[in-house]
Amino acid sequence: MNQTDKINQTKRIILIAGIFTALVSLLMMLNYMQIRGSKPLESKALEVLVEKLSAEQGNQELIDEIRQLDLLARKAYFSSLWQIRTGAWLLLIGGIVLVIALRSYYNMQFSIAPPDTDNPGERKSRLLAQRWIGAAGIIVFLLAGLSAFLSADHLQQYEAVQASLNENQPDDGIERIRITSQDADDDIQVIDTAEVTDVEEDLSNEGYGAESTRNTDKKSDEEVIEEKVKEAIPVALTTSLVNQNYNAFRGPWGNAVSNHSNIPTDWDGVTEKNILWKVEIPVHGYNSPIIWGDRLYFSGANATKRVVYCMDRHTGKMIWQQEANNIPGSPATPPKTTEDTGLAAPSLTTDGNSVFALFGTGDIIAFDMDGNRLWARNLGVPKNHYGHSSSLLTWDNKVFVQYDTQDGSKVMALNTSSGNEVWGTSRTSDVSWASPILANVNGQYQLIVLGNPDFSGYNIKTGHELWNVKCMSGEVGVSPAFGGGLAFAANEYATMIAVNPSTGETVWEENYYLPEVSSPVYHDGLLYIGTTFAVIASFEATTGEFVWEFDANDALYSSPVIADGKLFIFDTTGKAYIFNPGREPELIASPELGEPVYSTPAFANGRIYIRGNQHIYCIGTN
Amino acid sequence: MIKNVTGYFFVLFFVCFSFIAHAQQQRFPKPEFETEYQMPETSSPMPRAPFMEYVDVMVLILVMGVTIWLIFKKRSRKGIFWVAVFALLYFGFYRQGCICAIGAVQNLALGIFNPGYAIPISALAFFVIPLLVTLFAGRIFCASACPLGVIQDILIVKPIKIAPWIQKTLGLFPFIYLGLAVLYAATGTDFIICRYDPFIGIFRMGAEFHMIVLGISFLLMGMFVARPYCRFICPYGAMLNIGSRFSKNHLSITPKECINCKLCKDSCPFDAIDFPTEEKENKPVKSDTRRFLTYAAMIPLLVVLGGWAVSASYKTLSKAHSDVSLANLLIANPEKMSETDNLDIETFMASGRTLEMLMQDATLVQEKFRKGGWWLGGFIGLVIGLTLLNQVIYRRRDIYEANRGNCYSCGRCMEYCPVGKPDHPYHQLDPKNQNL
Repeated sequence: MNQTDKINQTKRIILIAGIFTALVSLLMMLNYMQIRGSKPLESKALEVLVEKLSAEQGNQELIDEIRQLDLLARKAYFSSLWQIRTGAWLLLIGGIVLVIALRSYYNMQFSIAPPDTDNPGERKSRLLAQRWIGAAGIIVFLLAGLSAFLSADHLQQYEAVQASLNENQPDDGIERIRITSQDADDDIQVIDTAEVTDVEEDLSNEGYGAESTRNTDKKSDEEVIEEKVKEAIPVALTTSLVNQNYNAFRGPWGNAVSNHSNIPTDWDGVTEKNILWKVEIPVHGYNSPIIWGDRLYFSGANATKRVVYCMDRHTGKMIWQQEANNIPGSPATPPKTTEDTGLAAPSLTTDGNSVFALFGTGDIIAFDMDGNRLWARNLGVPKNHYGHSSSLLTWDNKVFVQYDTQDGSKVMALNTSSGNEVWGTSRTSDVSWASPILANVNGQYQLIVLGNPDFSGYNIKTGHELWNVKCMSGEVGVSPAFGGGLAFAANEYATMIAVNPSTGETVWEENYYLPEVSSPVYHDGLLYIGTTFAVIASFEATTGEFVWEFDANDALYSSPVIADGKLFIFDTTGKAYIFNPGREPELIASPELGEPVYSTPAFANGRIYIRGNQHIYCIGTN
Repeated sequence: MIKNVTGYFFVLFFVCFSFIAHAQQQRFPKPEFETEYQMPETSSPMPRAPFMEYVDVMVLILVMGVTIWLIFKKRSRKGIFWVAVFALLYFGFYRQGCICAIGAVQNLALGIFNPGYAIPISALAFFVIPLLVTLFAGRIFCASACPLGVIQDILIVKPIKIAPWIQKTLGLFPFIYLGLAVLYAATGTDFIICRYDPFIGIFRMGAEFHMIVLGISFLLMGMFVARPYCRFICPYGAMLNIGSRFSKNHLSITPKECINCKLCKDSCPFDAIDFPTEEKENKPVKSDTRRFLTYAAMIPLLVVLGGWAVSASYKTLSKAHSDVSLANLLIANPEKMSETDNLDIETFMASGRTLEMLMQDATLVQEKFRKGGWWLGGFIGLVIGLTLLNQVIYRRRDIYEANRGNCYSCGRCMEYCPVGKPDHPYHQLDPKNQNL
């Protein structure tokens, strides 16, 4: 084959490859046009059949027909996709052949021609280049300078927009249902503590803010006005009110010490001895019940709904239940959680005006005491491989949220009236499951928070970190404790530590026994813990020295609580261990509930409220 | 005629690619039967084994090593071509354009300015190795290891000459792009080199429609203006250009002494061959000296002016950052906060951040841009000043030689040189014509 033949053959290859490429291209374009306009699921026939099905629900023949049609549509669509993919490969192959043939053709045509003698003047060319480089520089700088003057920067208008937003209260992710004078912190009327101490011990309706005066059937105009005024002015949360109730996980300040008396020590869940009532929980959850006045609050959640419940704590009758739904930013599909955490692990809190609930979706919601929704927002879906479980706490018109996630950690205070963030402080901690507590340190409240590795105290007014001890490791689910002027923290596979919250200095560290889920409690110079390997242990609070241990029947997930001067703790089988606190393990009783218990009980005068795996129980003497 | 026909085929072929890529963006909704049917779990492909990163680095070293051997020992353009094809298939179509030395400069910038970001060893290797090789042997990476360069190179059909003044003026852009890429990476805004890589969609056979169109446009343009991306855009090429000027060794057109046959004069599709200087241009000219002094004095002024101008444009530059753009959007249109069909707004609302927090973050970003703008503008001013200065420095040349900065070491010119090739057509020419 001579050179001319080779050139001719290459030309033919170019033509064939070109025609092939062009044809495939054309077919693919047609296919693309077809598939672009194709919406198989929106076919009229399918719509008609679906409509028909809604009228004749359960018509199997119709269902089969819809399925057949749907399958056909899908097959057609995916066939088109397959054709495009296959076409792309054919096109690529055709393209490669074409490029190779073209290169061969030009290589065969190649001959080195004698060069011309025309040599452009370099100096002239360089002069031209200088002009253009200068011009390009001027253009670049001019464009940059011009953009400085012409570019709109709306960030400068932020103050004005924010003021306007506050005035008009548009939907900024926080749903405001009822706006009252509660919106301004300054407007909140602080009721003298002396007044509230006069409140009856049995906590009748009087003295609980918005709940009061509601039950009057017929009211005069004056009464109506008075009621409206009362509705508008929230009752400020006082130390006395907190102590009289049980408004958070592990009670007042989250410190697991209840001031109530006549707490029963004898019951039997199987025979229902001293079980005043027992109610099946509608939707499962691991949060612990809280109490305000005559009412008991808790929540439950599953993949489809998240619900807050309010019960009459005397009868177990459901007063209201409200779903936490239609919250801006709430994920359409809840995040994956493990079976032992779920979406309703965080316990609720209340300040007597509102009840606040947080779910594993990041949804936080506030209801008034009658179940009217006040505000709701999403804090960002928490990335947490078990599920978010840190409970809420309220004080000083703020709801405190510990939000340690895999995407970043933060502790924040939200305004109880609006849900707006009062402050938010970023933390260096890894994801955690512990709940914050409040501690009165030298007359100032501190929010004490435990994470991995940070054990920290925060100023509740500003959110500034007051102290930090990096001492913890692993998956921290144990909440801190406070007592005797010291803050305590412990976690399995890490350490147990006492820190002086005035200075942030470590007082002692010990690791003889360590809890994993159950949180410690301080009482009268001793620190008590419950471990997952069924040991209840006591330590000297000032030195960390081991005092005593007691073997329970099963793992201890529920946290110990001091109530009526006794130590109460449930194991996971539902067996309670009641001790006389002291330097000897003096077991008073160990009654059984007959149902697994993972939550921590709530206490009222003469009553224990405990959430079992399926039921909520009221224990008391008839 | 055949040239015209093939030209149309090319156009059709590449336009079609855009349709394929766009079609692949379509997704079919899942069935919505309310039955017991359990949707299968979405499975994610296993990540690539970590050791494969080192395989990539080894392949890079191997490709460049073989290319050096082919240039300096074998002087084989064909060999270089086939190594380049292998690199295109491996780094382009198999590795789908990632990892890439061109984008690695951004990883480095982010690593330097963000202590929380650990630059992958392989990214660092891809950034450093080609630079080091360039200092010793010229732009070997561009010759055969860069998939972006190679894909343009093999599609060169009929390159046209670009006037030197256009080349020099457009040659400023890679430096500006480099500065912008570093600024955007350092502020955590974006990796613009990767985002606007025109060929990635072709390597992956799928990308956003406009990027496919951009890639095809570059390839089509590249049939006539050889390697347009490499010459007028590539920020890494700008660095290699500087490095290559100081390279210890470099491809030479002729293996021995140049006989000034001028055959290689038009051999380079990238206009990267410097001609012997004319006699009159070797003589000193007063105006050149005056210009040299003026430009040298202007450099500090250009640096300050550039710094001021670019720094002043921080509001515009920073709008590429998601926080700044979202803050601007929400402050200008507060009613949009309730829009549920805007993904950015929805994500922001779901994050739990407040407008105030967003505003604070956006202000911090703007401040970074204001400060970074001084550096970027100063850098641009310096590049303009030095380029101007370079235009009035004349170096005497007696032979045709590859311009060390612009030459991609592709080896085409070596084929033209008749020295040491007894069967070269040049030797069959009439000796009179040999003296052209």
